[in-house]
Amino acid sequence: MRFGRAWVGAGLCLALASAAVLVVIPLAVLIKTSWVEGRGHLADVISSPGFGSAVAHSFELSAAATLLAVPVGVAIALALRDPRLPGRAFWRVAVILPVLVPDFVLSYSWLMAYGRAGLTSELFGFAWTHIQGPIGVSVIVAANAVPLVYLIIAVGLATRAEPITERAARASGAGPATVLWTIMLPLLAPAIATAAVLAFVLSMGAFAIPQVVGAPAGFGTITTRIYADLALGSNPEGFVEAIMLALLLVVVTLIVVTLAETVLGGRLQTGRTAARDTDWPTSSRITRVIVTTAMALYLMITSGLPLLALLSAAITRAIGVPSTPDNWTTDNFLAVLTPRTGYALGRSLLLALAAASVLIVLGSLAAALGRIRGGRILSVLITLTLVLPGSTLAVGFLIGYGRWLADTVVIILIAYLAKLWALAHRPMSAAVDRLPSASLHAARVSGAGLPTALATVVVPLLRPALLAAWGLCFLTALHEVTMSSLLYGPGSETLAVVVLNSAELGNVGATAALSVLVTAIVVLPGAALWVLSRPTAHRPRA
Amino acid sequence: MSSLLELRDLSIRYGSTQVLNSLNLTVRDGEIVALLGPSGSGKSTLLNAVAGFLPIYSGEILLAGRNVATPRSTEPPERRDIAFVFQDYGLWPHLTALDTVAYPLRRRGVRLGPARDQARGILERLGIGALADRKPAQLSGGEQQRVGLARAMAREAAVYLFDEPTAHLDASLRDVFLTELAARRRESGAAAIYATHDAAEALGLADRVALLVAGQVIQDGSPQQLYSEPISVEAARLTGPASLLCGIEGPLLVRPDWVRLGGDRTGVVVDVWFRGSYTDYVLRTADGELLLRTPAPPVHERDEEVSWSLDRCWPMPEPR
Repeated sequence: MRFGRAWVGAGLCLALASAAVLVVIPLAVLIKTSWVEGRGHLADVISSPGFGSAVAHSFELSAAATLLAVPVGVAIALALRDPRLPGRAFWRVAVILPVLVPDFVLSYSWLMAYGRAGLTSELFGFAWTHIQGPIGVSVIVAANAVPLVYLIIAVGLATRAEPITERAARASGAGPATVLWTIMLPLLAPAIATAAVLAFVLSMGAFAIPQVVGAPAGFGTITTRIYADLALGSNPEGFVEAIMLALLLVVVTLIVVTLAETVLGGRLQTGRTAARDTDWPTSSRITRVIVTTAMALYLMITSGLPLLALLSAAITRAIGVPSTPDNWTTDNFLAVLTPRTGYALGRSLLLALAAASVLIVLGSLAAALGRIRGGRILSVLITLTLVLPGSTLAVGFLIGYGRWLADTVVIILIAYLAKLWALAHRPMSAAVDRLPSASLHAARVSGAGLPTALATVVVPLLRPALLAAWGLCFLTALHEVTMSSLLYGPGSETLAVVVLNSAELGNVGATAALSVLVTAIVVLPGAALWVLSRPTAHRPRA
Repeated sequence: MSSLLELRDLSIRYGSTQVLNSLNLTVRDGEIVALLGPSGSGKSTLLNAVAGFLPIYSGEILLAGRNVATPRSTEPPERRDIAFVFQDYGLWPHLTALDTVAYPLRRRGVRLGPARDQARGILERLGIGALADRKPAQLSGGEQQRVGLARAMAREAAVYLFDEPTAHLDASLRDVFLTELAARRRESGAAAIYATHDAAEALGLADRVALLVAGQVIQDGSPQQLYSEPISVEAARLTGPASLLCGIEGPLLVRPDWVRLGGDRTGVVVDVWFRGSYTDYVLRTADGELLLRTPAPPVHERDEEVSWSLDRCWPMPEPR
């Protein structure tokens, strides 16, 4: 697409200025401060016992979660590929649904379901005593990463392993298992590698799950240590340690991503459009029954039971009493519905609304600029934010803009914009790439000026992507807690922070009630969005 | 000749859409049958059902006398004695041409070394031995087509299925394939079904042509028979250019090469098309518009009155 030169210049300036404010300055400030402040304290910080164990725990957690999440995600993606699987459309949505549940709510729910005095303990006398340790944290982080792995593999399947490749192998005499081994897995290797890298990076930056599940039992990671250093301590050494850890997180993340990029080359991108489903008798009836049962069990264990436990705790009078109708109450909800909660909810909604709305502009801008030289640098910068841990960004913003903006919602908004830019950029740039190349030209030669052409041709064509990007940003901003918990002050706490604080105070009923509320306000718009977007997702059968 | 493949009352549905409708077709040993039909007539569906990619709704499929598909049971593709040449080649992005062709051999239990040797031999016969180490992304469309054909040949199947190959089989490829088919026939019997919407390709390639319209075979016979004795106007149009004259003798089908310039009848030139080795005239006559083909450069102009005569014609059967 060709715009006027002035338009391109203005757009590029705006985008680069945003990138400077959102990414470059906080990182630069972080590096400078660590150099200035850190020199004297470095040895002390590194030799402190908590530092080493936090780093070790982060690595163990990321490795374990990746090793767990990748096979599960791949298996689900392959299983859900069968068009004859009963309820396939439902399973496809159900697998991704846990994404709509904030991760701190998820971890809290797991504790209530499987922990001491949890739901399974009450029902079957089974309590998982080690849930509050490395294994428990890894399992929950893995369960949280499975939807992402599934999505990447599913896209890989649709774009690289078209049904025809499988058919060709079957017609060449290969049985289903041989096809999986000789064709599907080799073809999926790049997607699997991408998924593994992202799962590792996300686990590395995961904060809420280790904070809620691991920290109380002494399993601290880099992210929870940053939180402890900044939120609890006020000594300079803690501050230096937080900066060092934040930088370390970036360095590790960048090394992993760069290594993967080098080893895998350009194979991490998928350029082709997805193939259509075709009827394909891949499985016997027995296989389908087994797959369906396994899916139901998996979803029951990872989200069904935990959310049920959460709900049960929210409506039950006190901990320890059985959750029977006699003991049901709305007291927990009434107790948490304070003005403070109301303000926090309002703030969260406003922040998410503002962030999502600004982000689709920034995302579209970056997508439109993606083909010129300055624009490509921009997309690299934006993609970087995808793997920048929230904790690191938050520390950068605190040092960079804290003087003026500390304890305000503005600094939280800036942090959301920085962290979620990539999330808005991805779907937008994919949609821009798919735009028929002549559509804008055709509008221009038909007599439309640039603004008219954009409004009448480009925006309608991009509408599904714009909606998707907006919804994705809104939901993610709404349950962001890593950065919010580091940046909030009196009068700028978000609902997620209120829940986290309540959990830290050990207030079970209140936390459960708050969690139900925060999940509902995320799930309900999500469900509405899904229903609204269904007509566009409809595809005719082949 | 025994029948190698038999489709009996075959019906296939996608949801509520009926794609094949009680279709019957027999392919005998050694035959190349062209499946000729417009797009959407069910050609690909038929091949996919024979290959075992689709469950069937009713009827049955017999391959070498063995029942491979009924509405209740479907033999998977790898256990059917078939090979498939895909429209979009269906090559595997991660395998070289050599390993692609060796793939069916490996599935039969041939060791890697001998499988590659055999695969190299097949690639050389098809004139692409030099491309053995390339992956699909490094091959042109025509080259990918040859690799796809080589893979099918390596399968050494009883029935070869060609799903409307985008790059048509040129004469040299056709000869290699026919030699292959003859060799396979001597061993165990072999045949091919070639789906296409191109009448010239179908008539030139096949021993027998089956005309597929709206999920049914409307006519089935030798290429010459389909060309000169079509059972309906639709069948005539699908097998090549034709004019319909409505004179006192009833509807007469006339192929453009059955008409000559000069003679006792007259008409006015409506259009002239110079096509290189021949020239097409469209004439307006008393009995209707007529297409006339001569192996000479244009000698008449528009609106000129010319005389013509018929070498032969085909009285159309009354439409049912």
